[in-house]
Amino acid sequence: MKPLIRSFALFVKQIFSDSMLATICIATVLAACFIRFGIPLIEIVLCSYFEREAILADYYLLFDLLLALVTPYMICFASAMMMLTEYDENMASYLAVTPVGKRGYILSRLVFPAGIAFAVSIVLMRWFSLTEWPLGMIPLICLLTCLLSVAVALLLFSFSHNRVEGVAMGKLSGLLMLGLPAPFFLPSDVQYLFSPLPSFWFAKLCMERNVIFLLPALLSALLWIGLLSKKFIRKIA
Amino acid sequence: MIQVQNLRFSYTKQPFIENMNFEVQNGEIFGFLGPSGAGKSTLQKILTGLLTAYAGSAIVNGSEVKSHDNGFYENIGVDFEFPSLYEKLTARENLRFFASLYKQHQAIDPLLDNVGLLPDADKKVADFSKGMKTRLNFIKALLHDPVLLFLDEPTSGLDPSNARRLKDIILQEKAKGKTILLTTHNMYDATELCDRVAFIVDGRLRALDTPRNLIMSRGASQVRYTFALDGREVHAEIPLDRTGGDDVLQRLVRENRLLSIHSSEPTLNDIFVELTGRRLQ
Repeated sequence: MKPLIRSFALFVKQIFSDSMLATICIATVLAACFIRFGIPLIEIVLCSYFEREAILADYYLLFDLLLALVTPYMICFASAMMMLTEYDENMASYLAVTPVGKRGYILSRLVFPAGIAFAVSIVLMRWFSLTEWPLGMIPLICLLTCLLSVAVALLLFSFSHNRVEGVAMGKLSGLLMLGLPAPFFLPSDVQYLFSPLPSFWFAKLCMERNVIFLLPALLSALLWIGLLSKKFIRKIA
Repeated sequence: MIQVQNLRFSYTKQPFIENMNFEVQNGEIFGFLGPSGAGKSTLQKILTGLLTAYAGSAIVNGSEVKSHDNGFYENIGVDFEFPSLYEKLTARENLRFFASLYKQHQAIDPLLDNVGLLPDADKKVADFSKGMKTRLNFIKALLHDPVLLFLDEPTSGLDPSNARRLKDIILQEKAKGKTILLTTHNMYDATELCDRVAFIVDGRLRALDTPRNLIMSRGASQVRYTFALDGREVHAEIPLDRTGGDDVLQRLVRENRLLSIHSSEPTLNDIFVELTGRRLQ
């Protein structure tokens, strides 16, 4: 366990010594503050201007879902960027031949950051969400968004050769979030076009409050992880 | 220390390493020679546990590589061809970090001193030259005093004096009883350092023996000499082990009439070309 912790500690230190990645991590709290305090303020201004009772309030759940997703997404993005830096420095395969090992590398670069993201997003969801969440729903949705974020990290690392490509891929990976607004804005038959995206099922689960949607939400996220992990493992070998 | 039996590996559907068999004894320097893309680095990746989807058996330090435990890497030191170092950290910080991953490790400063990097120990690796990174990368593999060393082109990109320094350290490690696997396409390094060498081409083992035996298998060294006869220069050649019976040469030596004389030994490269039809470099 000691090599793993040492390796993870250096990884975190490296992330925070990089101004761009440190900003990305801090941005999660700023985004939470904006959603919690900025959106209701904007709602007041808009309602007053257009003389309506609610404009954004109908979509507060969507903002909450965005909050639940953005925290692990940002943390896993920073993690993927640092892994790409390590890949450039040939560190990924080197750490795999130390007591850290290949499994330890995956744990310290993907699972530990996702674990931290899970804890942070629970805290942010508890204190910064705009709607009331039933007991147990917050950890569940945070777990799902963390799984999707791990898939994003795998995608960024596996399909990019360096950080520049990683940033470009990061923008592209934002498409994976497109599933979130689909159930809010699209008619019921059209919205299923977004069903390959785990984020679509996350939104369905939270909107319908029906556990039946938990299964496709979980399976689709795990499927993405499964599909991407083979290429990831090949890359660190 | 290493037993490889019927080893097969493939990146695609096409076999890349086929039916490889060899053993490496304790305290031996064993060289893998071959051109780029021959499978040397893949073989090293298999033996270090990076690639586990192989068929056959690869036992390293008593463990089947694909099912090794966490302690496996406590006894193995790996020096990849390309430096693997944290560029934003200093040389000393890099070594301190890697040392912290092992249960026990050597003192850092003497290692730095051995490769002439002590004065630059607190400089960031990003500011190092290629040769400095190569030397730092090399001592990184020695940090935990492993019993088995995998060295991939350890002298690549080094000036002759630093290459000499690293080769001396390799020989010192051998003298301490370490087993060393040296992957190279530098025939001079292999001849000088290795107890045995294996020629690898297209994922197959083409020959395995001591450098001397491989060289001798091509026949004795030749002695070439020139002398003047009737106003023109004459060239002659005779195997080294038959010079005593060459009356012409004897007479020329006695009469001090030789214009030039030199011996020409075959090199591992010659043997490699002869056996495989390919060049090492």
